[in-house]
This record gives sequence, structure tokens and C-alpha cells, in this order.
Amino acid sequence: MDTQAFIQERFSEFYKGNASGIETPKSIENREFGFTLFKEKMMVRHKGFINAEELRDFIKKNAPSNAYYSAAYYSVPEAKMDEKGWLGSDLFFDIDADHIPAKCNKIHDSWMCRKCGLRGRGSAPGKCPSCGNESFDERTWPCEICLEAARVETMNLLDILTSDLGFSFSDIRCSFSGHRGYHVQVESEEILKLDSIARKEIVDYVTGTGIDVLFHGLESIRRDGGKLIAGPGLHERGWRGRAARGTYEFLLAATPEDLMRLGLKKSIVDEIIANKDLMLESWVFGGPWNIVRGLGLKGWSKIVQRGVSLQSAKIDTVVTVDIHRLIRLPNTLHGKTGLLKVSFPPNEIEQFDPLKRSVAFRNGDVKIYVEEAPKFRLGDDSFGPFKKQTVTLPLSAALFLLCKDAARVVD
Amino acid sequence: MAKTLTLEDMAKYPFMPEAAEEVRKLGFRIDGLFEADYAPILERAERRVIEALTTSPPEVRYDPSLYKEDVEMLSFPVAVALVTSLANEYVKRRYALAEARRAYELLKRESEEKIVEIARKFGWRIRFSGEKAGLIKFDFALNFIDYLRNAASFHDKDWKLINKFVINGEVHLSKQEVARLLQEEIRRYIEGKIDPKIRSALPEKIFERADKIKQAYSSSFKELPTEDFSPSEATEEAFPPCIMELYRAAQSGRHVPHVGRFALTSFLINIGMSPDSIVGLFRRSSDFNERMTRYQIEHIAGERGSGTKYTPPKCDTLQTHGLCPGMDDICRGIKHPLTYYRRKMRAMKAKRVKESKG
Repeated sequence: MDTQAFIQERFSEFYKGNASGIETPKSIENREFGFTLFKEKMMVRHKGFINAEELRDFIKKNAPSNAYYSAAYYSVPEAKMDEKGWLGSDLFFDIDADHIPAKCNKIHDSWMCRKCGLRGRGSAPGKCPSCGNESFDERTWPCEICLEAARVETMNLLDILTSDLGFSFSDIRCSFSGHRGYHVQVESEEILKLDSIARKEIVDYVTGTGIDVLFHGLESIRRDGGKLIAGPGLHERGWRGRAARGTYEFLLAATPEDLMRLGLKKSIVDEIIANKDLMLESWVFGGPWNIVRGLGLKGWSKIVQRGVSLQSAKIDTVVTVDIHRLIRLPNTLHGKTGLLKVSFPPNEIEQFDPLKRSVAFRNGDVKIYVEEAPKFRLGDDSFGPFKKQTVTLPLSAALFLLCKDAARVVD
Repeated sequence: MAKTLTLEDMAKYPFMPEAAEEVRKLGFRIDGLFEADYAPILERAERRVIEALTTSPPEVRYDPSLYKEDVEMLSFPVAVALVTSLANEYVKRRYALAEARRAYELLKRESEEKIVEIARKFGWRIRFSGEKAGLIKFDFALNFIDYLRNAASFHDKDWKLINKFVINGEVHLSKQEVARLLQEEIRRYIEGKIDPKIRSALPEKIFERADKIKQAYSSSFKELPTEDFSPSEATEEAFPPCIMELYRAAQSGRHVPHVGRFALTSFLINIGMSPDSIVGLFRRSSDFNERMTRYQIEHIAGERGSGTKYTPPKCDTLQTHGLCPGMDDICRGIKHPLTYYRRKMRAMKAKRVKESKG
């Protein structure tokens, strides 16, 4: 049986039974919707629906491979882009493992040259080492390590949104995208009208872009005829405290190589390593700023800057600034995994298990031939690794590999 | 807060809604303006416009010994009418800026209470702070959305939200900073009042008086400058590092992300490269599609869609999207890649002239 047709049939069955669970955004009549369908390659955009029922019927009837809605509100969502009449947009953040440097992609991600078929591990190279071609099919996997990294970034983001920017958890919706990341959406009257420039400032705030640590407590002060360095404290609020906590976190794990990479002199690096324990303990009484001789404002700026990046939230910057963005509809299936995009309250992020909650298909087994797949977990069960073998798997696991184009159905 | 502004306040800040209300109460009508009694008002209104045009940086004066409070207050709407009748974008911006700068100078010297009172009239969610961070004590706490609405267009890094002390949705600020933000709010507010739609309602004599100003100060009237480069001048050597990087990537067919393509294309169009040459540049890209590429480029050039010709993003936007590879010496003095290009071109030309001379 044709694999594409098989996937489409399962999606269709799923929506016949579960369309009523599709979460609809508020003011549905002002949102634009977009879909990718199994039969066509192009995205169907500029769709509008007057109520939840109409939208669910459409999805039930068409069983799209992906379903999206606009973060923006329009007077006429069906109109052409410049005639829609933009009314406002939710504040939206996308945290995707693709934007977080993790070591595990070398293990589970792979690429294939579109021209000569050469395969490799990790992210695709610029040029195929064999034929010099520059286009590849890439396959990335939602693995536990990547998803954990994305969770940490999401938690950093939630902390900034609530403690600094003052949003309450009731304004914030979190979801697992159904693939490799999390979505965080602020739905508040306040932010609707913010333009791209203001949103860019928010992006810079959460990512730590353009920060000058000298505005956050790091300074040189004169005392008793000499110069002393002062810095922010661990329990301060805003970026001051975050810069201090990041600095602590960095020093705690810093190797001589990490410090050299910041451009510090060898002698200073040696001093830092020799005095590390003292520096870490010193935070209770004023901080480590004057322990290492010769480490001045410039050197500390580099270290604190590094600390800032540990505390920042690595989001996809383009998504938040784009006030016309289409985003995946919650409780619909992700075409690359057959998993659901699932929402959850932000205070549950620590316990949330994305690979359990997003499982959509619970019954039946399917026999498939797997070309290659790393070990993966869905729900409470682990599967694989597989290489060129025929296996019978529960529907959710089989569909996951089929959607990933790592397997085909065996009759 | 049910306080009302005094007559002195309204003379200092004649753009406040209370002042407009007061003007109405006095039964002041613009058609009556040319009666002899009103001569001082008309004269002061003209001075306001002239001061805006002839001072640098532009600033309308405030001198209570020279003008009575009611003249100061009533002359503002008349000055707005004069500027409106001139229908010149440059004059409009300069006048709004000059009035706003005057307000800034006055606000800096006001009490905290007065500043809060005025800010709240503009809908600001502001309160006294008293919050301390290290050795600094802040005077005010302003809702961060109200902050962004006014500060997002400022370029200095100390105005970036990330470099401010922000807690619970509020930005903690000094009195001077709040006054500066109010200047921006006032500037936009006054620009909004200079509405070309009300031109038809203005009496003929306003146009006559405005014309006289225009003739007397013609050298101060400018059209807004436009960025123009002649195509023959487009030279790679003057590209800023960010554009150079994108340009090289496109030339060698490496992947250029969407924002990068936009930055590169709009830059090249603005320095005068033809859409055809730009299509050629992207030809080596692995996902090249001539029809799509041409469409996008022509769109950016303003030859399609809304007809707007796009300019490349500013430096800090490129930084946000990770497209700034690090600054060189020229970068440090500019905020926009096109300014970089223009400066470097000028420097290169000067060098060439010098060399040719000997």
C-alpha cells in the first residue's frame, strides 16, 4: 500500500473521531487559517471560518497534513495580504531544538544528497563531499535530550515573561509543537497592537541581545584611593540578578578552555581556576569581583556576558517579530510525526512529558519496513534502533516513522 | 487624580486637551483671528513656526516675560493651523519636534507630581517608584508597553529595554528619562494634530500668512532627503560586513535565510543594482526558482504589490536576527547599512581625489 495514502487515511480517521477536540483560538472569525494537504504540495492559505464548527468540519473533511492559524487578527482574513486589515496580533514565541546547539544531533540527525544520494550524520554540510551538490534532504528527530534543552529555554522564557514583563500565567498558553519544540503564546489585550519594532525589543530582552552588562550593576568604583569592581547580586531582580546567576552558573562549570575562549589571558585563567571555590563561596558576601588580581572591568564584562547567554531564552527571533505569522493549531496532527500539538498550563512545564501527551493513536499494530531510525520513545515504550528491517509496531510508533519518511508500509 | 492644570501649565503645555478645552471656553474662533484684538496671538503663532524653522536643534522658546499666558496658549492651535496649511512634511516634523523639545526642557524642571499628572493625560500607566538597584534609586515606574511605544525608536543602547531595570511589567526610570519619553509622546501627538484633512476648513488668510513665512524663510524649507545612489557607483568594496557576508554566501550558492535575502536584496536595490543582476546573483542557490526570485525582488523594489520600495533593516534588527558578523570601525558610528555604504563611498572618493592630485 502507498505510504502517503496510509498516513492520510489514519489522519482522516483520527479527525473523524477527534475533531471536536481541536482547540480554536479566540476571535476565530478574525483569524486567517492555512493548511497543507496530502495531495498538493502548496499551502492553502487565506481561509476564514466563522465558528469552531465550520473549522472542525473543514478539517474532518480534508484531513490536512498540517493545520495553522494566524497569530494576527484581521477584519477580512480571507482577503489578500495587504487588504486583510490587520487588527492586532498575539505575542508568540517559538522554541525549536533547531535553534539550540545540542550535541545529540550528531547521533540522530541525518542528511542525504539529493543528487548523488550520499548520506551523513548531523546537520547537512554546505556542499556534498562527493558530488559538490548543495541541496539535501535532512531528517531531524525529536529526541529526549533536544526536547529537554528546549524545555530549559522555555522555562527561561516563562521566567522572563512573568517576573520581568509582568504577564500572569493566565495570559500565557504553552504547547508542545508535536515535533522538536515548544510554543509560548501571550494573549493579552495589552500586546495586541505592538508593532514589529516593539516586538523586536521584546525579542532582544528575552534573548539578551544588545545587553551591556555595565547597565546591570557591573562597574568600577573608587574606594580608598584604589579602584574596585562591583557587580550585581544573585538575588537581585530583572537582568541584574539573572546576569549574576548566569555568571555563577558559568564559573561553576567553567574549564580553562571555556575561559580561554572568552579571550582572557592565560595567567588570569589560571588564577580563576585556582581560586574557583573561593569565588563561588564569595557570592554570599558581595561577589567574586575583586578576588582575582588583574581581572578588571573588561574581563568581567566578558564573563558576565557569557552568564547572560546562559540565562537567556533561545527563541526563533523571526517568528516573534512577524506580526502575520501562521502557527500550528492546538490538538491537530503534525505532518512530520503524526503527533499532536498539545497545550498545557505554563506552571506544569516541569512535569510535562511531551512524548507521552502528544501521542494521538492508541490502537492497532502496523507492519512496516524501516530504512533507518534511532532509538526513540513514545508514551511509556521505547522502540528501535532499527536498520533495514521489517517490524510490527503500535500504530503511533509506526506512523511516527512513516511520517518521518524513515519507513514504508508492508502489505 | 482630579487635579486640573493651571493657566501657567496650559501656557507651558498648550497641546494638552485641557488647553484645547480652555480655548473653546474662551470662545476663540479661528475666523475671528484677523481682528485687531487678536494681533498678538497671530504674531506669536508665526514666531512659533519661525523659531522651529530657524533654531538648531529646533526648539520653540518659552519666555513668560515676553508673552502673556493666554497668548502663549491660544497661539499654539493657530501655529498648528499655519503648519497644516503649508503641507510640507519637513516643516511638519520640524515644528512638532521644536514644540516637543520645548516641553522636554520645561518638564525636566517640574515636580514629580506634575510629571505624573501630565503623563497620565496621555494614558501612561506610571507611578512613583523609589525602587533601588545597587546604588541607583529610581523616581518612576512606567508600564513597559507605554515605554516601548516611545523608546523603541531611540537608538542609543541605554534606551534598549534589555538595558533597563524591568520588574513586574514596569520599567524603572529617572525623572529626566521620563521627560525625554514624554517629549517623544508629545512630538507624535502634535504631528498627529497637523492633519492635511483639515486644510479645507482653514480660512484663506491663514494660507496667506503661511505663504509669507514660506517666502521669508525659503532657505529653511527643505524637502525630506532621499537616499539615492547612481547605479554605476555600486561597488562591493564599500559593502558593510553584514552585506558582504550575505553577498558572498549568495555568490557561492550557500543557503541564505529569508531575513538575510531580504536584507541583501533591499540593500542592493537601494544602491542601484538592477533586479536582473540581483536575480543573477541568486541563480547559484540550490533552491533557485527564477519566477519566485524575480517576483520577490520586484516586490522589494516596489515594482509590484503595494508599490513601496523597501529599505534594508537597521543594524540592531540585523543583530536581533543574528546577521551581524561583528562591527568594524565604520559600523561603530552608524545605525544603518546604507549609511555605512554612503560613508565608505565618500571616503573612497575623497581618497581617490587625493591620490589623483598627487
